[in-house]
Amino acid sequence: MRLSVAAAISHGRVFRRLGLGPESRIHLLQNLLTGLVRHERIEASWARVDELRGYAEKLIDCGKLGDTNERAMRMADFWLTEKDLIPKLFHVLVPRYQGQNGGYTRMLQIPNRNKQDRAKMAVIEYKGNCLPPLPLPHRDSNLTLLNQLLQGLRKDQEASTHSSHTVQTPEI
Amino acid sequence: MPVVMVLPWPAAQGLLRKCWEQLQRKVRQSRPGFPSLQWGPALAVQGPAILTEPANDTNGSKEISSFLESIFWMAAPQNRRSIEVNRCRRRNPHKLIKVKNNRDISPECGHLKQKHVLCGYCYEKVCKETAEIRRQREKQEGGPFKAPTVETMVLYLGETPSKQDQGKRIIERARKRPSWFTQN
Repeated sequence: MRLSVAAAISHGRVFRRLGLGPESRIHLLQNLLTGLVRHERIEASWARVDELRGYAEKLIDCGKLGDTNERAMRMADFWLTEKDLIPKLFHVLVPRYQGQNGGYTRMLQIPNRNKQDRAKMAVIEYKGNCLPPLPLPHRDSNLTLLNQLLQGLRKDQEASTHSSHTVQTPEI
Repeated sequence: MPVVMVLPWPAAQGLLRKCWEQLQRKVRQSRPGFPSLQWGPALAVQGPAILTEPANDTNGSKEISSFLESIFWMAAPQNRRSIEVNRCRRRNPHKLIKVKNNRDISPECGHLKQKHVLCGYCYEKVCKETAEIRRQREKQEGGPFKAPTVETMVLYLGETPSKQDQGKRIIERARKRPSWFTQN
């Protein structure tokens, strides 16, 4: 039970405070989301991008309800301040992700901003866009020499543990 | 008239005494028949004797003596810190700059990067190309707020749209395709 509330301690708090207040935070996210839908790749400070990611995915889910749905249209109308993007959402982004159930966005950290604040920056993009691909980190293919040797070692270890188990069971 | 004396810091004592004397002078001027008693505070806190002394002494000695008396109340070190103790404090690990061991080499360009961060050089390349593509797109759209309701694709010199790219809006770029931008 919480006996005291220390004013300046925020241990365990999960909700971020952006901008000048809750309303300002929503306006910031509106602007960022509109920019993301227009340009399909946005870079901003890491905290804002992290906050935006959830809203971006929810917008696609809400768009999947369809053009004719009243609630979906109201949501899109609220979040997209530039109204020429509402048809783009319903007719470009939603059909792109018809087969998927989530994971419409990709968020990666970039080197710190070059200005004096050296802020932690991130880039967010809608997957499947037409822009040049980001230098994603990818694992080496399974066919490299090192990975093949490691795979052989793993198989040998499993075989040896399996044979030791089969040898032990008759004793039991 | 009850006056409460608060213990001031040394530099303010001379000032306070001057203010008090000014006040006394003004009161005597306004009411000449007033008894010229030596007024003192009705409530006195423990401290050096300021107002009971006559106001004829030179200011310098008064300030020095009051300063010397009041330095009992200021924090000061008792001994000189030896160089060994100083070295221990200055070279404590928490004051030294920490070594980063999460650095890596980007496989494409060979520049240094942090493990969890994108390579700066490769990202800069991508940024420049996207800026060019966006400039071309704005020229094609002609004005603000004209986003099309079809997918977009980028074509470089000498390329034609394939079968599954029918119906997309095309952005032409007047250069050959960069090696890191594959067509699928």
